[in-house]
Amino acid sequence: MKKIVLMLIAATFLFAGPAVSAETIKIGLMCPLTGSWASEGKDMRQIVELLAGQVNEQGGLLGKEVEIVVADDGGDPRTAALAAQRLASRGIVGVIGTYGSSVTEASQNIYAATNTLQIANGSTSVRLTEKGLPYFFRTCPRDDEQGRVAVKSMLEKGYKRIAILHDSTTYAKGLAEEARGLLADEAAEIVFFDALTPGEQDYTTILTQIRRDNPDVVFFTGYYPEAGMLLRQKMEMGLDVPFIGGDANNNPDLVKIAGTRAAEGFRFLSPPVPQDLPSPVAQDFLAAYIEKYGQAPGSIWAVLAGDGFRVLAKAIEETNSTETEAIADYLKNELQAFPGLTGMIDFDQKGDRIGDVYRVYEVDADGNFILQK
Amino acid sequence: MEQFFTQLTNGLAVGGIYALIALGYTMVYGVLKLINFAHGDLFTIGAYLGLTLLASLGLTGNVGTAGGIFFLVLMVMGLVGVIGILLDRAAYKPLRTSPRLSAVVSALGASIVFSNTIMLVYGPSPRVYPQGLLPTHVFYVFGLPVPIMRIIILATSLVLMIGLYLFIQKTRTGTAIRAAAIDQGAARLMGINVDRVIMLVFFIGPALGGAAGVMVGLHYGQINFTMGWIYGLKAFTAAILGGIGNIPGAMVGGLLLGVIESMGAAYISNAWKDAIAFFVLILILIIRPTGLLGERVAEKI
Repeated sequence: MKKIVLMLIAATFLFAGPAVSAETIKIGLMCPLTGSWASEGKDMRQIVELLAGQVNEQGGLLGKEVEIVVADDGGDPRTAALAAQRLASRGIVGVIGTYGSSVTEASQNIYAATNTLQIANGSTSVRLTEKGLPYFFRTCPRDDEQGRVAVKSMLEKGYKRIAILHDSTTYAKGLAEEARGLLADEAAEIVFFDALTPGEQDYTTILTQIRRDNPDVVFFTGYYPEAGMLLRQKMEMGLDVPFIGGDANNNPDLVKIAGTRAAEGFRFLSPPVPQDLPSPVAQDFLAAYIEKYGQAPGSIWAVLAGDGFRVLAKAIEETNSTETEAIADYLKNELQAFPGLTGMIDFDQKGDRIGDVYRVYEVDADGNFILQK
Repeated sequence: MEQFFTQLTNGLAVGGIYALIALGYTMVYGVLKLINFAHGDLFTIGAYLGLTLLASLGLTGNVGTAGGIFFLVLMVMGLVGVIGILLDRAAYKPLRTSPRLSAVVSALGASIVFSNTIMLVYGPSPRVYPQGLLPTHVFYVFGLPVPIMRIIILATSLVLMIGLYLFIQKTRTGTAIRAAAIDQGAARLMGINVDRVIMLVFFIGPALGGAAGVMVGLHYGQINFTMGWIYGLKAFTAAILGGIGNIPGAMVGGLLLGVIESMGAAYISNAWKDAIAFFVLILILIIRPTGLLGERVAEKI
């Protein structure tokens, strides 16, 4: 019995293996299946495999079946470099992923050296697309996109006197300076620009100054623990100025720290959570996902991996080719207003996604995050 | 003027907390010439214990809010005091005769052990005290708003500090503590049980730190396992500013540091707040190397 099993396994490797690979189109997926981002990676894998299954049900691509080759990057740059080398030697058409910017960065040059197309899904660091790599794309927005959306939303509300508060971290300071730069050309005045010290408990000094400068709105670019404290102390002081925060505030702990009464009315920017994706494509996808896996995907970043797969599949179909050059050219120059799961998708010449991905959320009286239309 | 007054009350409220924690540093230093770097973490433990007791005992439901909080603070002070004694037994007593640097290294180690234990027990994300326990009235002094909690915190700190001062100055035990601080050998010859004095010091100091922890938790709501580091550093600075080893000095240093910070932030720059506070510390130490109220030259640690 054992022998027969062994022979069968051997036969699979000898015959079926090469035979199948000639018949399939292989698409790589690099995602963190272990490490601290493992839940993101699991969602990415489930989403991409679900979408690939749907494509195969409808006859595959170019008459061939799609095969997803998964590699674990562990959420760690060194593991990612090994994963990238393994994937690049497996004859894949392109690779989707990955989540963290530093992890993606470690794999970028390996894919570039092997002329492999890469579509990252959660790596928002600006410099990834500033390197001039011809075959690198991403479906997520860049960090500087957020500043644009913040400024736009504040101006739309008619705010004239704007206070900007950051916490001196690279991310928060960058976002604050981005917003300040954009506001310089607008009919609004920056009445306050300063940093708090993260990790402290008492921010009444800074709130007292903000009261003195009497802004119409405060844009806080830091993280949710400080935002929670600011909101709470703002209410205790009886200071009545609206706060708007960056995407590091998308965490339910914010409401716990501030209390629902103080958090109500706080607005922050974030890519939409999966449940709020508006389009029919997204609704169908979510229904299929929930049917198969029992719950909705946890974050938008994993859904963006699904969009990576969908644009790649579209490009293979349209160009009738699996050549990296042809696909990259199509994505940059011909793909227009592709209905992605997360909204319309276009790419610019750098491989960045064009268009607003960020949305404005507001905390309601019960502490829920409500998408603003 | 309104701005100045509000910032003054902001600074005094924070300074009151610094002063309470600084007392723990200064008492231990006074007797043992040791900077207890784990003191900030004892403060954090106080905040977490307060949360646990509040949630599990239902204190405020049984004896009313004010009484409940009073008992809560007392219980936390007792527990943190006992932890302080255990800390001394485990980390400092075996090193009593070793060079002073060994005890400092041991203190840093104890600090790391404490903060990681808190993280493992309570988790790394911030915890939140139940809301709505405290009065949120706002007093108007000369037409300027002062939240009542500001006054309560400052008053509690002052009561604890004055109580400690009287205890040290007026009682027999207090005299023994002062004697041990001046010269342990001579105190022993006079029939003072120096080991008991040290134990008492390691009870009172951490107990005051624990009380500060509960007050921070109750007032600010959010606590996290790393907060002892910043408060500890500031309180240590306050103790140096006032003259380490000197109890009124710790009080003055704490309140002064709070006010300097808030004034520096208000009139110069928020981002440079800490730098301004430390700059003032350096200036004061250049002019008065023993700190504001320090009597003898602080020895090197």
